[in-house]
Amino acid sequence: MKKDRMETPPLRKRGQLHITETIAVLFIFFVLVFFGLLFYSKYQKISLAEKQEELLGERAMETTLKTLFLPELGCSKGEAEQEDNCIDLMKLEAAQKTFSEHINDYYFGIFSYANITVQELYPDSARSWTLYDKLKTKTLEDGTVVKDWERKEPTYFVVTLRDESQGRVQYRFGYIVVEVYS
Amino acid sequence: MDMTPKQGQVEVTFNWVYVLIAGAVILLFFIGLVVRQKAVSEEQLSIEVVRIMESIFTGAGVSEKTKNFIDISGLAEYTLYFGCSNEVGEYGILGTSARAENAIDPFFAPKEIKASQLIVWSLPYRLPFKVIDFLFITSSNTQYIVLGEVPFATEFVNSTQGFNVQHLVSRQEYEQIDPGHNFQVRIIDTVGTTLTAGSGVPLLLQSLGNERVTGVSFGQGAVTYYSKNNENKWEQQGAAVPMVSLDEERDAAKYAAIFVADADMYRCNLKKAFRRLELINEVYGGKENEPGGKIQQLLNYYGGHPESLCKNPLVERQDNLVTALASHQRNAAACRLDASTCTNLIASARALRTANKALAELGDCITLY
Repeated sequence: MKKDRMETPPLRKRGQLHITETIAVLFIFFVLVFFGLLFYSKYQKISLAEKQEELLGERAMETTLKTLFLPELGCSKGEAEQEDNCIDLMKLEAAQKTFSEHINDYYFGIFSYANITVQELYPDSARSWTLYDKLKTKTLEDGTVVKDWERKEPTYFVVTLRDESQGRVQYRFGYIVVEVYS
Repeated sequence: MDMTPKQGQVEVTFNWVYVLIAGAVILLFFIGLVVRQKAVSEEQLSIEVVRIMESIFTGAGVSEKTKNFIDISGLAEYTLYFGCSNEVGEYGILGTSARAENAIDPFFAPKEIKASQLIVWSLPYRLPFKVIDFLFITSSNTQYIVLGEVPFATEFVNSTQGFNVQHLVSRQEYEQIDPGHNFQVRIIDTVGTTLTAGSGVPLLLQSLGNERVTGVSFGQGAVTYYSKNNENKWEQQGAAVPMVSLDEERDAAKYAAIFVADADMYRCNLKKAFRRLELINEVYGGKENEPGGKIQQLLNYYGGHPESLCKNPLVERQDNLVTALASHQRNAAACRLDASTCTNLIASARALRTANKALAELGDCITLY
């Protein structure tokens, strides 16, 4: 053992000692910088996800608001103001065709990637109408179309449905589902 | 005497130089970080402001007839700008990359706003049914001077309570208009006789920049825009723009003409409304040569009830609803492409309104709108 110790060159010179000291300081410094960066990137990632969540929620509310006030659907009566939270079923049925035909050239500008469905609850809970459906998708190399969204934010709003198809005004009851994607 | 420094002295000097250089580098690094962070924060702030503006405009656009007074004192140093070209509106903060584009909602605003309070108001645009909400954006330091003693002048002043509006009736009052501390002044000539190309701008307004003193004059169903020129005279800005409206109370098209900066922005935003009108016409009447829409459902229903009196205003009489709607669809498409045909659109909107009223007056009939 004693012999071995004698073979190892001793750190006698002050210069050598300083270099080792500097390397150790630099090593600790870079370790701290690395941990700092790691912590910062993690924090940024979390806050970005939170921001995206907040923006999606905001978009869901805005899209619902826009849908509820669409002149294409509203219950009007001549020059009087439209009834609040009411959908004219005759207009809704006609609007389905118009919306699907102009989804890319106009309505995407209003609703972006979303799905808007009107569901009747009473008296006929089996009736529903899809007003707008635009999903975010991507095409894979093999030609398969798959979804390209991570989050979906659904919003529900109760509405009355005005039905005049029998020659007189009847009110039904339902809700509107607005789902937005990101 | 030996003047060569000892080893210890060299080492101490070297350590100090080393510390100084390292300190300077670290200091520069942090200064750079702060400067960069400042620029990023300002950019983020402007993006956030534009996003908030989008939300405010969406809310204000649907809350019909509600005036929103928004405190933007935190942005008082920034200038908001508004524009519109090729049916796409744009707004943002001047001097930053933050901006938003909107090809759907018509918004009528001055070209620039620099204020501590933003005023946002919307009115429904009907032709004859509701087409879209017109959004008016202005500020507390944009002054509107209403000239003339016509009912519209009184109506405008009454409906814009809380805005920076002044009603003047005499020529003498007009000559003495004082801009005060306002950012810009808009003169509204409701009669169409005071503002004429080449006439003088009131003396006290001459101190403001040309783009800050503008005028709008109504006459014979059209609106003409003016602005101050270098000779302190009124100069007409482009040709008169026909107003496409049914001239009712709180006429959205007329109010829009007052709040919008100039003729180009007015035309551009009206085209957005005409585009929406074409689509709503499709909901009501289907496509040309392709029956459909709500009217087809009415025809189907009353086709099965030959005894119904509703068929008369709907399809039988000369100025019936089906013909009026078909004509309205054609005119909407034509007006969007060529403004000179827009008078036909007003006529077909009136015919449609009359036919729909006739249907409503029968009592039991389903109306189109």
